Amino acid sequence: MTKVFDSGNVACALAVKDVGVDFVAAYPITPQTSVVEKIASYIAEGEMDAKYLPVESEHSALSAVAAASAVGARVFTATSSQGLLYMHEILHYAAGGRLPIVMANVNRAINMPWCLYVDHQDAVSQRDTGWIQLFAASNQEIYDSVILAYKVAEEVQIPVMVNYDGFLVSHSSMPFETLEQDKIKEFLPPLDPPWRIHPQWGGTFGNVTPSEEYVPYRYALTEDIKKAGDVIVRCSKEYEKLTGRWHGGHFETYRPEGAEYFLFSMGSMGKEMEIAVDLLREQGIAAAGLRLRVFSPFPEEELAALLPAGAKLLVFDRNLVYGSAGGALLQLAKAAFFNRRDSLQVIGISLGLGGEDLPASVLVAKAREMMEVCK
Amino acid sequence: MREIRLHGRGGQGVVTLAELLAKTAIKTGLEAQTLPFFGVERRGAAVKAAVRLDHTPIKIRSQSYQPGILVLMSENLLEIGLADGLADKAVIIANAEKPLPIARHQWLLDAEIIAIKNNLVFGGEPFINVPMLGALCRVLDLPFSALEETLKEQWSEDKALPNINAAREAYDTVWDAGVPKEEKNNE
Repeated sequence: MTKVFDSGNVACALAVKDVGVDFVAAYPITPQTSVVEKIASYIAEGEMDAKYLPVESEHSALSAVAAASAVGARVFTATSSQGLLYMHEILHYAAGGRLPIVMANVNRAINMPWCLYVDHQDAVSQRDTGWIQLFAASNQEIYDSVILAYKVAEEVQIPVMVNYDGFLVSHSSMPFETLEQDKIKEFLPPLDPPWRIHPQWGGTFGNVTPSEEYVPYRYALTEDIKKAGDVIVRCSKEYEKLTGRWHGGHFETYRPEGAEYFLFSMGSMGKEMEIAVDLLREQGIAAAGLRLRVFSPFPEEELAALLPAGAKLLVFDRNLVYGSAGGALLQLAKAAFFNRRDSLQVIGISLGLGGEDLPASVLVAKAREMMEVCK
Repeated sequence: MREIRLHGRGGQGVVTLAELLAKTAIKTGLEAQTLPFFGVERRGAAVKAAVRLDHTPIKIRSQSYQPGILVLMSENLLEIGLADGLADKAVIIANAEKPLPIARHQWLLDAEIIAIKNNLVFGGEPFINVPMLGALCRVLDLPFSALEETLKEQWSEDKALPNINAAREAYDTVWDAGVPKEEKNNE
């Protein structure tokens, strides 16, 4: 285990190197971040034995890694903001093709108007593409989540997106620990896909299907992604045994004992929320933090089971569902409680768009406003 | 927690300065975090970075509003630095010959002279981030040995040496200008 002090993007690149990825394709220009620049330099310096293919667009980047994944390579790409949107078509292809791709997405606002800074609209817009989506809130969690993502993707044959907040985490340096490559191999054995495109084996990939073949295929994807939630938790526990590092299962909870208000959020805001919870507790308010790590598949049964009787869920969304009262987490949380925990109160707001800063003082003020409405 | 906010211009090495400060602090057993803020991502544009040092892991994921130390790579960044806020008892460390016209506790050094004397001139520009780092470590009471170790990790021997010398000179000569009287505006 080596102690490192570096940015979230370097934490991501180091994990990709340590995992032993075979092929990386990326569009290296804005809105790309330093992740692929770092990986390109590892490969150029001979520290990483992989093929690196710079391509002319994000659409091509994901197409290239999808093709490489289909021949049995362990692959990686990274993007951000508009780049992720440009990949949208191929996101569906990759999930439908059941390709165990891992991609980092540095969450940044989308156009127009042009804005460089953090929010989650990019990832939330890709919710229904059949990808698993994880959200990390620290550089250590990024490093560990990338390794976890390969483990999960290769077990369930579904691609995984590892999200982390632009600038606030991607460009912020924090201390983190890596893991020896032999220990990673213990957790994540070399890729041995159940099938692959190979010149000696006949077969087609992605051919035209009649509805009677198409339908079971689609249902299999939705059932398997639902089951992937438990796989993520099981693999996280296995990883904890190996490393002693734990960031939570579906959620990371903070000070849940005796809590009445659960402050529900995702990404870096969830880490700052812990400071807000401490401040609220000092003010005599029984608040707890609830940070979502697995956005897709959304853990609706687990969320409904987690809250005690009489609890109130305050939802902080860093995205918008246009025309609705809040964002995607609010909608998903309401759906989770409907017919399960109908008596629980859920209220939410959208905030922090386009890098609007969210210090703990703001989170406390917003939480108190929502508490007033709950009364 | 100690919070430091640095103000400079794109290309001056402000982000590197922040990283090197954090790495030096970690060597003394502290937890650290850096958070650069890029404006329009252009050379010459105003750039800032926060460094946070603490005894426990740092959970903050937001910008710096009340730093206890404000670092100005140039005195013409004073207005920009003040506009972003600072703590009541904040100390300013500035690359300036004379005290800045503000009633705030200041430590000063002429970082350009130190950079030129120690051959830290690239493309005709004196590089002042390492002298500023030396001064900052002194004001923060971080041991010079930790800083020297950081600089040796950052650069190979021949490149590290002028940086170590410049940092040493800044560490030794940054001076406490106290709290100057606010300049009266008689107009």
